[in-house]
Amino acid sequence: MQETTDSGPSGSKSRPKRALSFLRVQNAYAFIGLVLIVIFAWVFFVIEIEPQFYLQEGERARYAWDTFISQFIIGLAQGSIYALIALGYTLVYGILFMINFAHGEVFMAGAYIGFFAINAAEQSGFLESQTALAILLTMGVAVMGSVIVAILLERIAYRPLRGAPRLVPLITAIGASITLQQLFLRLFGSSPRTYPRISLFVGQGMWGCEPVDGTTVCEGIDLISKSYDVLIFNQEVRIRPFFFVILFVSLLLMSALWFFIQRTKTGKAMRAVAEDKDTASLMGINVDRTIVITFMLGAALAGAGAVLFALYNRQVTPFMGFIPGIKAFTAAVLGGIGNVPGAMFGGLFLGVAESVFPSALGLPNQLKDVVAFGLLIVFMIFRPTGIFGEVLSEKKA
Amino acid sequence: MSLLTVNDIHTYYGNIHALKGISLHVNEGEIVTLIGGNGAGKTTTLNTISGITPATEGQVTLAEQDITTMAPHNIVRAGVVQSPEGRKVFTRLTVRENLEMGAFTRTDGGIERDLEDVFKRFPRLKERENQLSGTMSGGEQQMLAMGRALMAKPRILLLDEPSMGLAPLLVKQVFEAIEYLNRQNGTTILLVEQNARMALEVANRGYVLQSGRITHDGPAKELQNDKAIIEAYLGG
Amino acid sequence: MRKMILLICVLALATVGIAPLAAQDDMMGPSVMLAPGEDLVIGFGAALTGEGLAPFGIDIRRGVELALEDRPTVTVDDVEFNVALDVQDSMCSPEGGQTVANRFVSDDSIVGVIGLMCSSAAEAAAPIFDEAGFSTISASATAASLTTSDFTSFNRTVPTDAAQGLAAADIIVNVLGATNVAFIDDGSAYGTGLVDVIIDAYEELGGTVAIRDAVTVGDTDFRALLEDISATDPDLIYFAGFNAEGARLIEQRFDVGLEDVPFMGADGIYGSELVDLAGDFAEGVYATRPIPASSDELDAFAERYIETFGEEPPSAFNTNSYDATNLMLDAIEAVGYIDDQGDLVIERETLSEFIRSASFDGLTGVIECDGTGECSSADIGFYQITDGAFVQQELEMMEE
Repeated sequence: MQETTDSGPSGSKSRPKRALSFLRVQNAYAFIGLVLIVIFAWVFFVIEIEPQFYLQEGERARYAWDTFISQFIIGLAQGSIYALIALGYTLVYGILFMINFAHGEVFMAGAYIGFFAINAAEQSGFLESQTALAILLTMGVAVMGSVIVAILLERIAYRPLRGAPRLVPLITAIGASITLQQLFLRLFGSSPRTYPRISLFVGQGMWGCEPVDGTTVCEGIDLISKSYDVLIFNQEVRIRPFFFVILFVSLLLMSALWFFIQRTKTGKAMRAVAEDKDTASLMGINVDRTIVITFMLGAALAGAGAVLFALYNRQVTPFMGFIPGIKAFTAAVLGGIGNVPGAMFGGLFLGVAESVFPSALGLPNQLKDVVAFGLLIVFMIFRPTGIFGEVLSEKKA
Repeated sequence: MSLLTVNDIHTYYGNIHALKGISLHVNEGEIVTLIGGNGAGKTTTLNTISGITPATEGQVTLAEQDITTMAPHNIVRAGVVQSPEGRKVFTRLTVRENLEMGAFTRTDGGIERDLEDVFKRFPRLKERENQLSGTMSGGEQQMLAMGRALMAKPRILLLDEPSMGLAPLLVKQVFEAIEYLNRQNGTTILLVEQNARMALEVANRGYVLQSGRITHDGPAKELQNDKAIIEAYLGG
Repeated sequence: MRKMILLICVLALATVGIAPLAAQDDMMGPSVMLAPGEDLVIGFGAALTGEGLAPFGIDIRRGVELALEDRPTVTVDDVEFNVALDVQDSMCSPEGGQTVANRFVSDDSIVGVIGLMCSSAAEAAAPIFDEAGFSTISASATAASLTTSDFTSFNRTVPTDAAQGLAAADIIVNVLGATNVAFIDDGSAYGTGLVDVIIDAYEELGGTVAIRDAVTVGDTDFRALLEDISATDPDLIYFAGFNAEGARLIEQRFDVGLEDVPFMGADGIYGSELVDLAGDFAEGVYATRPIPASSDELDAFAERYIETFGEEPPSAFNTNSYDATNLMLDAIEAVGYIDDQGDLVIERETLSEFIRSASFDGLTGVIECDGTGECSSADIGFYQITDGAFVQQELEMMEE
C-alpha cells in the first residue's frame, strides 16, 4: 500500500549496481544463450584442444563428442521431468509465496496410482492390444490421483494456515511430505513396484528393418523401451526414443500450461490472485478456488511427469518423490521461482548440467549433486532472482 | 429507494477500533460521496462493504439482501464492485487483461464493446493495450483503474480516491468519467475522495467522516456551504 | 527465502546435535538384572523401511524369529526366562545406526543386540555400544573396517568383505577373465569398503581399473554415469551396493549400449528381490555371497523358511541371523547367574568376553570367534542369474 505519487514506471526502482553486472543480463534468453555458448566452448576445448597436449599415440581421450551428445540428450530427458515437477513448485510459490515441500509426494502418489492402472491394464491384456491408449489412460488416472492428493493437501494442511507467518506453512509442508511418504509406505510397503516393460512400435515398414530368417522384417521403432544406435553429427550414439518422447510430451504439457495461464480467463485470474489477493477478490475472483486450481494444475503436471518417469525408470517407491522433488525445487529457484518459463528452463538446464558437467569437468559422476547444488549457490550469488526472475517489489519480497 | 444500506457498522483492525458505528445509505442512481481526512475510516468503510474487512457489528444490505458476511467475490457477484485506492492495478497483467479482470463476473456479450468505450475515453490505454501495466506511469495506472471500474457494470460502484496523485487535467477527466457513468449508464456510485471540492461538485449527497464516525451528512450543495466543512476540508 | 534456508540448517544441526547428547548416559550399570518372570529383552536393529533395503531387514528378522521359535526361552540355573525382541529400524545410514544405538543403550534391560544390518549404521553405532559395554552380533554388516577398528561391541556371523573382496577379485580376473573393470559403489561404508578391498587385490592380479565412481543412494537416473563408463570400454561392471541402485544400473546399461558387458555384484544384490526389480534385464548378472557349508540342517532350514514365510528368501542373510541369535542366547545362558535375591544377573563384560571367544557348530558352518568380532568361517560362493534365479557356479579358474 505505498502511496507514491511519482509518475515513473514502477519497476524502475534503481537496483544496486554490483561487480559482474554483465551477468545481470536483463533479457533471460540472452542469458541462456550466453551460458550455452560458455558450455559449448568449454566442451569444445576439452574434447578438441586439451587432448592434443596430453594424449599419447593411440590413447583414447577421457571425453569425446559421442559421450557429450548422449549425456546431453539424457540430461534433456531427466530435465524435462524436473521441469514438470518444478512447475508445481513455481505455480504454488507464485500464488501463495509458499514452498510446497510435499509436491515431491504428489508426484510419487501419481506414480503409484498410475502403477495400479497400468498393472490392471497389463493383467487384462488391454495394455498389449491397445498400448498407446492404455498409456494415455494410465496418465489420466495418475493425473487424477495427483490432483486429488494435492486438493486434499491444500484443504487439510495449507488452507487453515493461510495468513499465518510464512514459516508455519513451510513446516507443515515438510510434515505433510513425511506423512504422505509414511502413508504410502504403510499402504503399499517399501518394496518397489515395477512398471511393466512396454513396447510401442511406430513406423512399421519404414524403420527398424532387420533380416530375420532370410527375409527383411520391419517391426518399426519402439518408442518406449528399446534403444538404438544412431548417427548424430557423425557420432555413433545409443539413443532410446523415449528420451525424446519425454522431452516432447513435457514441452507439449508446458505449452498447454503456458496457454492456459496466458490466455484463459482462469489463467488470468491466477495471475491476478498471485499479484494481489484482495484486489483480485474485489474483481469478483474467488481466491480460494483459484488457489485450488493452481494446486491442481501443478499436481496434474507432476502426475503426468510421474508416469513418464516411471515408464523410464520403472521402479516406484514411497520415497521416490524426495530427490526429484528437491532437484525440481532447485530447478525452480534456478529459473526464478514463481516464473513459469523459468521453471521450464531451470529444469532442463539442471538436468543437462547434472548429466554433462561432471564428465566435462573431469569429475566423478558421484559429484553430480554437488554440481547441481553448487550451481544453485553460484546462481544465488550472481543472479539471486534466477534466470527469469524479476526483482520482486517490496510488497512481495 | 435505498440500494445500499449500511447500518451501524463497527470494524476492527486487530485491536484498533476503526469504524465506530457508521450508518449511511445510497439510493438507486445517486452519487454519494464520503469525505474526510487521512485515517478517518473512508477506505475501511468501503472495505467493510466489500467484505475485505468484514464488520464485527452492524449490517450491510444490498437492496433486501444481507451481504455483511459474504465473501468478497460473492459480494461482487451480487453487484457491489469496488475500485480500490491508489494504483492497485495488476502490474504483471497487460492493460487489456486488467480491463478484462474488471469484467470478471460479467457474462453478457457487451464486454468487447465496453472495452472499446474505455479505450475511446482513455486513448492512452489503447496505445498501451498490450503493455504490462506495471511499466506505465502512476497517472496512466490510475486511468487504468478507472477504466477497470467502468468495465465492471455493477449495480453500485465504490470508488476509492480515483483522482489521487493525478495531474489537474486528468482529475477533470476522471470526474467526467464518473458523471458519465452515472448519467449514461445509471450506475449508482459511492465515491470516497480527498478532493472534497470536486467530489461535492458531482455528488448528490455527502457524508463527512471523522475518526470512524459520521459527523455531518446532507445534500452536497448544503455541505459545500457548511462553514465548518469549508474550513476543515475545502481549504477555507 | 533466507529465513527458510536458515531454518533448514537449524533443523539439520538439531538432528545431528541430539544424537551425541543422548549418548551421555552415565547411569548405565555394567550388568543386566532380571527378576524372575520378567522378559529377557534382546534388541534387534535392521533397515525395515527404505527402498530395496527392507527385504534384507525383513529376511534377517525372519532368521531371528526362526531361532526364537526353536528357543523361546533361556534357562539359567534352572530358572526359565522368556526371550523378547525389541525391533528397531536402524535404516542404512550412520544417523539411523546412532539413533537406534542410543535408544538401546539408554534401556538397561536390553541384554544384547542382534544387528545392526548395514555396515554404515553399524560403524556409527559401534562407539556408542562400546561405551555402554554392549555386545552386538551382526548377521550382515560385512565392511572390513568393522573388525579392524578396535570396536569392543561389534561381532558378526558373516564373513568380512576382506574375504569376499579377495574372492571377488580372484573370480573377476581368473574366472571371468576381465582385466578392464569399471567399479561402482553406493557411497556407503559397505560399498566403498568392498570396492577398496577388491581393487587392491584386483590390481595385484594384474587388472586395470577402467573407472571408479559411485552412485547416490535413492537416485534414479544413472545413465550419465553409465555413459562415462561406456567411454572406457570396460569388459566388466562391478557394483558394490544394494538392490534398488543395482537394479537400475543393470537396467539402464541397456540404454547406453552396455548390455553386452557383464555385470557383477556382491551379497548386497543377492536374492530374489533383485530379479523382482530388474526382471529380464537381470539375466546373466553375477554375484558373490558368503555361503554356508552345505549340510542337511541347512537344506531343512531353507525348506522351513519357505514353509513359514511362503516365499524364497529375498536376501542372503537369514541363516547368519539365525546363528547370531543362537550365539547370543548361548552366551547369555553361559554367563548369566542367579544372585541371592533370585534375580538373573548378566554382566555385560563377561557376556562380551564369552561372545568374542565363542565357538559352536552353527547353521552356516563352524562359528568360531577370533577375538576381533569375526566369527564366521563361511566360504564365498559365486552365482549367476539364470532363468530368473541366482544359480551357484562352479569355480573354474582360467588357465593363466
